[in-house]
Amino acid sequence: MECDARTEGDFTVISLQGEVDLHFSPRAREIILKHLQQKQHVLVDLSAVDYIDSSGVASLVEGFQHARTNTLKFALVGVSDAAMQILQLSRLDKVFPIFVGIDDAATQL
Amino acid sequence: MTTMSEAAAFEQIKPSDLPSPPQTALQILRACSSDVVTSTELSALAEKDPVLTAELLRVVNTAFFGLSRTVQSLNHAVTILGQRSLRNIVLCISVRDAIDNHAIPGFDSTEYWEDSLRRAVSSKLLAERINSRSEDCFTAGLLQDFGLLVLFYVKPETAHYWQELRGLDPDTRYEKEQQYFGTTHTEVIQMLAEAWDLPQELSTVLGAHHNCESCEPCKTQSETHTLCEILYCADWMSTIFNADDKPKLLEQTRQLLGNKFDLASEGISECLNTLSEEVESAASSLGLRINKQPNFEEIMLQANVKLAEANLSYQELTWKLEQTLRERDDLAAELDRELELAREIQESLLPKNLTDDFPVTGINVSARQLSGDFYDYFQLKDGRIYFNLADVSGKGVNAALLMAKTSSLFHCLGKHIHEPDKLLSHINNELCETAIRGMFVTMIAGIYDPKSGLVKMVNAGNPPALLLTRDGKAQAIDATASPLGILPNTPFPLAKDITLTNNCLYLFSDGATEGVLDGKEMLGLKGVLQLIISHRDKAPRERLQAIVQQFQTASNKLHDDITMVLIEGPKLNTSC
Repeated sequence: MECDARTEGDFTVISLQGEVDLHFSPRAREIILKHLQQKQHVLVDLSAVDYIDSSGVASLVEGFQHARTNTLKFALVGVSDAAMQILQLSRLDKVFPIFVGIDDAATQL
Repeated sequence: MTTMSEAAAFEQIKPSDLPSPPQTALQILRACSSDVVTSTELSALAEKDPVLTAELLRVVNTAFFGLSRTVQSLNHAVTILGQRSLRNIVLCISVRDAIDNHAIPGFDSTEYWEDSLRRAVSSKLLAERINSRSEDCFTAGLLQDFGLLVLFYVKPETAHYWQELRGLDPDTRYEKEQQYFGTTHTEVIQMLAEAWDLPQELSTVLGAHHNCESCEPCKTQSETHTLCEILYCADWMSTIFNADDKPKLLEQTRQLLGNKFDLASEGISECLNTLSEEVESAASSLGLRINKQPNFEEIMLQANVKLAEANLSYQELTWKLEQTLRERDDLAAELDRELELAREIQESLLPKNLTDDFPVTGINVSARQLSGDFYDYFQLKDGRIYFNLADVSGKGVNAALLMAKTSSLFHCLGKHIHEPDKLLSHINNELCETAIRGMFVTMIAGIYDPKSGLVKMVNAGNPPALLLTRDGKAQAIDATASPLGILPNTPFPLAKDITLTNNCLYLFSDGATEGVLDGKEMLGLKGVLQLIISHRDKAPRERLQAIVQQFQTASNKLHDDITMVLIEGPKLNTSC
């Protein structure tokens, strides 16, 4: 898995790529929490995610819970089919704010 | 470290910079080097410098030179010793007196003379062994590193290199001289040999003893070659006494002497054992003050003690490493025991097998020692059966602990809250209160009434359950709610009522749907269904075992926990 972070307007966009599994989800968790702890609004771009397991989803859940507690904005954008399938299967698509693109998220959040 | 300017300074040494012996000594050297020296010449020289003459006669008459009669004049000395021997003794005295002991500030000339005498005596002893010219070798040995002392004399601020250099083997020392001074002791001594008008052969061997192979005269004159080799080997012998790594140098010297002179180990040891005594004797004869010389055995004993200490340190390190590894193994074993205990407790949380005709059965196989999956079922007083199957996100101890908590909540609260949707709301709120690291729990939980054959069930984020009819049709019951532990006060709506009469219901964790058989793609829901159908003729418990075993063959390694629960409906005569 690779991940990088960039600033887009009011948001920090964190892009996760490849397989977000037990091995790599600690890195995803670390980078998501780091930006949230700096009081930044976070969008997680999942467009290049090939696979995400429950530990990877837990990293997103923790980010979501942290943002919710600290009244920060947190959403998933460009969710790939593979990731969306997992989210839909567990109905987590009803939990996370999900947007097609960054602009979409920026206007609606 | 030597700067370039230091090195350059040495390259510019001029003959006038060099120390010089008394004129009379030079004249005696020249006279002795000529074919025949007359008694008139020697008497004239003796009258010219009575102090030198007296010293010369003293040295000649010492025990080291072993004359049978007392020599009383230079003429007499020439008669008894011969010109060559007299010249050697004059040369030794000249070298001794050429540089004042205090001329180089902070430099311990005693150590230098000890080393030089050791080289001289080593040369003499080697020459005796191979029947070469021992007196010439002694003198050449005394002179061979004199160039280094001259370097320190010309540039006293470089004298601090002495201690480092004398601890090195001769080859390394020679390389370091070039590096530190931009020149070597052999180049300097050759310049000195010319200035002092020394015999050509002596000048050659002094200049070439580190490069004998490329010395032109050595190629044609065997005696010169032998002298050259003796000086080089004597350097190695002498260095054993002050080298940093004495045992190594001894071994190298043994090999060198064996190769060069075919000397056996015993012969070399004899030379080394007599060396110190002869050095003291030579020092006394030449009037050089040196410290009492340790004998070879003492030197090697100390070296071996140091070696033993080093070996002991190595042994201690090995022991410590072994101890650390043992501690690690003990800790790993302790951790294993702890995990085994935890595993036992986990297993105790799973329901015990009830009678064969009990309609619910389950199986749980963990990919690790501890599982994040669990299932449960128990009968209420009214005969209905509460059941669940759950999967905690992630793996390992943290997942296992949350599994224990969730399982306990389900088992405890389920006895009082007989509506699955309300039960899951309670459990969810409890889990949300202590949410950590985003961990969540997917769960299917429901109540089955064997009398009516109806199931009321909630699927909170778990992979779909499969309802199989007797006529072979399958229906997936998708998640009706998100997993537990994410959002408090979330609704957990029931799925539509499920009729189990003549049907069976399969619940399973994502370890099954994401399982891979024979390196193919993930099974998915269809793959799991096919697997179930392929074992439908077996009894419920054997059926689940057979399905799970397919994930644990030699070619299929379990990557995730797999948990399955099967509920068979009433009036069912055949498996589905």
